[in-house]
Amino acid sequence: MQRHKIVLAEDNSTLSLLLKYRLEKEGFELLIAADGKEAVELVEHHDPDLVLTDIMMPFYSGLEVISHIRNKLKKETPVIIFSSAGQEEMVLKAFSLGASDFMTKPFSPNELVIRVKRLFS
Amino acid sequence: MITYQHLIDSFNKAPFIIQFAFIAVIIMVIAIVSLIISLKVIRSFLKIKDKEILKYKNEYEPLLIEYLYSGNENEELTETQQSIIAKIKEGIKGASRRKSVITILTNLMNEVSGEMSDSIRTLYHETGLIDYAIIRLKSKRWHITSKAIVELRRFKIQETHDLVSEFINHSKVEVRKETQIYLVHLFKFEGLSFLDDLKTPLSEWHQLLLLESLLNLENQQIGNIKPWLNSSNTSVVLFALKLTKIYNQFEMKHELIELRMHPDKEVRRSAIHVLNQLFGYEFEETPKPKNRQLKSEGQIVIV
Repeated sequence: MQRHKIVLAEDNSTLSLLLKYRLEKEGFELLIAADGKEAVELVEHHDPDLVLTDIMMPFYSGLEVISHIRNKLKKETPVIIFSSAGQEEMVLKAFSLGASDFMTKPFSPNELVIRVKRLFS
Repeated sequence: MITYQHLIDSFNKAPFIIQFAFIAVIIMVIAIVSLIISLKVIRSFLKIKDKEILKYKNEYEPLLIEYLYSGNENEELTETQQSIIAKIKEGIKGASRRKSVITILTNLMNEVSGEMSDSIRTLYHETGLIDYAIIRLKSKRWHITSKAIVELRRFKIQETHDLVSEFINHSKVEVRKETQIYLVHLFKFEGLSFLDDLKTPLSEWHQLLLLESLLNLENQQIGNIKPWLNSSNTSVVLFALKLTKIYNQFEMKHELIELRMHPDKEVRRSAIHVLNQLFGYEFEETPKPKNRQLKSEGQIVIV
């Protein structure tokens, strides 16, 4: 059975590693990007089934990543964004650009797994 | 040798201003060269430190994540977790390694919640990082104390309440600020009890930081703020007035009316403003001749 491919764009390496372990344990294939630029490259080259992205990242922000996926690549890949408290306006912008869901930091990795599974069900 | 002698003779024969300029140029050249060399040394030292921290980060990150995922449903630590704790405990005896572990844990504490954040706190306790923070609390250098308080707040360590409370009236404003935020962040409205003993002024900025922490709390049930409205510390009274307004403390009507007679102009003005907001009292600009103290602020009339 083909494993679902997920691109995780997060500049906090510890959180990336933590989520990678958790999601791989659930049977997903994880591709890690340390910034927005890497995320865009991974999306272009690997055509993932889901993108998990932080809003604030070096080079390209999460909003630019969504915009690139929707407007340049013309893809309907689901995107879950990670926001922090006080970034409500950014979340609204992300939804207007085509984000599928969002999670506010700090969040529970277990909850993320539930949301990811729900997207694939 | 002859050339050098010639130069020395030329220097001795030169006018005073030329001699002065020559010496000044020599001193400046020496200073610039020394500065360049010291900057190079500092930069290489920082690069080595950064590499060291990165190395430790790469070493401890997988270990910490393994710790977080090797727990079971019982609250007790598993064997794997215990062995990881022992490994970390041994490693963090060195300052750089300790710094790396704290950085990784802090980064995670800001990003994850629930069971995982509880697990990180357990690790903080079990590895003895809390003891290092307590030692730093007692440091004579204020910035080390301040950083230790921030760390204890981030890891939500409530056991150090009494130790941290000692800094409420610290001579450095930064330490006082971190102490106040620690208390409110961890003990919610009860943490505001530091206002009872506060002798130093509470700046407008610190008041805003405290209000921000309070407004982020899930439980918005406020305690008794009456003693703070009667405080001898004017900034505490002003802060209590802000609380009265934000939390609609209608039962403080009597205290608010009393505060119209407060010796401080700002307090009188704020009390009138809160009365206006809560009870619809209107501020009348006409001064009241009977009360000289309130001459400039006017008085209140019930609409």
